[in-house]
Amino acid sequence: MLTTLTALAADLAWPMTVALAWVVGEAGHRWAGLPRISLYGVVGFILGSPQLGLLPSATFGTVMLVANAAFGLVLFEFGYRINLRWLRTNPWIGVTAVLESALTFGAVYALALAFDMPLLTALLLASLAMSTSPAALMRVVNEQRSSGQVTERVLHLTAVNCLLAVFSFKVIVGFWTFQTSGDILQAISNSVVVLAVSTGLGAAFGVGVPALLRRLGRLSSDATVGFAIAVILLVAITHTLKLSPVLASLTFGFVARHRRVVLNPTRRNFGALGELLSIVLFVFVATTISWQRVWAGLGLGLLLLLVRMLVKVAAVGGLAHVSGISWRKGVLTGLAMAPMSVFVILLLEQDRYLGINLVDQLAPLAAATLILELIGPVVTQRALMLAGERAEPAEG
Amino acid sequence: MPLEPFKPSAPLTLGVELELQLVSLSSLDLIEASPDMLDLLGRKPFPGNVVPEITESMIEVSTDIHTGHRGLLAQLRRIRDALVAAGDRLNVGVCGGGTHPFQQWSERKIFAKPRFQEVSLLYGYLAKQFTIFGQHIHVGCPSGDDALFLLHSLNRYVPHFIALAASSPFVQRKDTLFNSARLNSVFAFPLSGRAPFTLSWREFESGYFARMAHTGIVKSMKDFYWDIRPKPEFGTIELRVCDTPLTVERAAALAGYLQGLCRWLLERSEPPPDEDDYLVYNYNRFQACRFGLDGTVVHPKTYESVSLRDDVLNTLRLLMERTASDDAPALSHLLQLVQAGNDATYLRQQYQDRGGPEGMVDAAIASFKDTGQG
Repeated sequence: MLTTLTALAADLAWPMTVALAWVVGEAGHRWAGLPRISLYGVVGFILGSPQLGLLPSATFGTVMLVANAAFGLVLFEFGYRINLRWLRTNPWIGVTAVLESALTFGAVYALALAFDMPLLTALLLASLAMSTSPAALMRVVNEQRSSGQVTERVLHLTAVNCLLAVFSFKVIVGFWTFQTSGDILQAISNSVVVLAVSTGLGAAFGVGVPALLRRLGRLSSDATVGFAIAVILLVAITHTLKLSPVLASLTFGFVARHRRVVLNPTRRNFGALGELLSIVLFVFVATTISWQRVWAGLGLGLLLLLVRMLVKVAAVGGLAHVSGISWRKGVLTGLAMAPMSVFVILLLEQDRYLGINLVDQLAPLAAATLILELIGPVVTQRALMLAGERAEPAEG
Repeated sequence: MPLEPFKPSAPLTLGVELELQLVSLSSLDLIEASPDMLDLLGRKPFPGNVVPEITESMIEVSTDIHTGHRGLLAQLRRIRDALVAAGDRLNVGVCGGGTHPFQQWSERKIFAKPRFQEVSLLYGYLAKQFTIFGQHIHVGCPSGDDALFLLHSLNRYVPHFIALAASSPFVQRKDTLFNSARLNSVFAFPLSGRAPFTLSWREFESGYFARMAHTGIVKSMKDFYWDIRPKPEFGTIELRVCDTPLTVERAAALAGYLQGLCRWLLERSEPPPDEDDYLVYNYNRFQACRFGLDGTVVHPKTYESVSLRDDVLNTLRLLMERTASDDAPALSHLLQLVQAGNDATYLRQQYQDRGGPEGMVDAAIASFKDTGQG
């Protein structure tokens, strides 16, 4: 009898949590104006197995796959909104992106070394700190329905810093593998091959799916479902083959956008589907963080956040005028790049397969991630509001 | 507030205002970019004048006063180049077209300026639906009486301008079957339509306008959304029925055509206008909006039905015989247009070829950038 109850509780845990997170998210958004995803994170963290333990650990299960698919959808939409041609018509955008990433990398690396971290751990920490969370960003931008230069720039800068983060991370992991195992082949397959195959798969989907949809006559109508299915499939394939779903989904979005003759009326957020999956995603991510680890890395984590934020604001703000916007909007763009969460965790989860448990080695990152998981979206939201780019609240 | 006195200006001088679309180059939807564009454009002297419009995804440019088509076109090209360069830096496409084919009006944001906020409060959703893009052409008049004479004499030619400039076939992602759907949004306003018939400025000023002001409905000429309205402080009449064309070349050509027509009319070459001319006015205007150059209009004096295309062709030929050489390029541009089809036809073709309304926006951006369209 008792075991039946436990099993029942385990079965119900996730649906109940999603329902609770949704209610808390709506309530907090309505009464405190907070971004919903921050509140999903709070619910996930509190109920997660390391804390209250109401949720069964889901690191390798279906929930992980669902979260991955949700993240894939966000990344696809994110890639789809990027106009690479802009980096050519306004070279300062590209310069800003590379500079702020490089400076963040350097500053975090120096900080980690100053705290006596091992060289490779410091490098990994630095490469992950470069990236802004595209998932948090997209959710906040869509929730606020914001549009303007801060919105456009934060999206484009994030696209570049994410790519740089994935690439540098995989290369460093390659070196790590080589150092620990001495196996050059495994090292290469862990980095270069993963990068190349993931990108290739994403590009193949980017060419093939629009072509298929056109044949089916879906391009001029609503292609949302077609693209959603393709993204979920792509994520499943890359997940199974231990490739990078992040890179593949992002490339899919990029290529689909730049290859098409027609742009498709893909709905924002993938409509209700995207909204639903993102609840699972943000709850899930927070459940993977344990209180002990956060506590252990709190000091360095906070310092890391401060340094990262300062560098980003200084770099983006400093180049604002020359790239065509006001200083104020430049600083706000830098601030809006605060979130750093989901992306990092999924990278780490993936690399558990490699036999390296980075999560334990990167305790400060766990702390920083938790803080930003909750606070990052709020910072982005306020920055967009201060920039006056939020849509007028819907009436009624 | 009484109407200001009509300030005489050099006859037949030209000025053009264009309302342009600001489009995200990422999504091709309208984007709230006018504050950022104005901020960036404010850093250097602008080759003309640029101001915000009622919603933040619109921008309005205007030229100086010109004596002829050539100078006007040259300035419009400089204005276009400045806009395109600024847009490139901000990931913003600038283009013509009377409507954006798939924007959702409810997404638009009213520009933060007291007059716009007042208008938005008064008109509600009509204000946001007014995210439509027109070309206004000013023609200088030596006196108020001349202005009213021209304004009413042009009644028969208003459909020409609607059909030639029409570039708004789609609204909210759907084909409206109209060539100029934009004008339907203008007609929704209570003070739209045509000016009351009088040929005397004194009568207009102390009669109609004074009485209207007394009712409290209007405060200035700005409150009228007429197809053609006098603008006493400029000393002009302003033709407002044109959709913003896809190219500045077409915009300049339309102004050249209006100038030629006004010259012809001021020579008193036609029977004087009459209140009864307006019996056929709304019907003719509908024909031009709906069918473009394929419409059929009724002549206001003879009640003869003529195809709009033939009527335009005959008028163009008539003007070409008597026009100064400076205007010839404008008229021959329009002759070509009549043969090849207007911008609405071109945009519909793009929809077919590229499979969606996004393709229309893409083509509109390319047309605006390039010199002339294929």
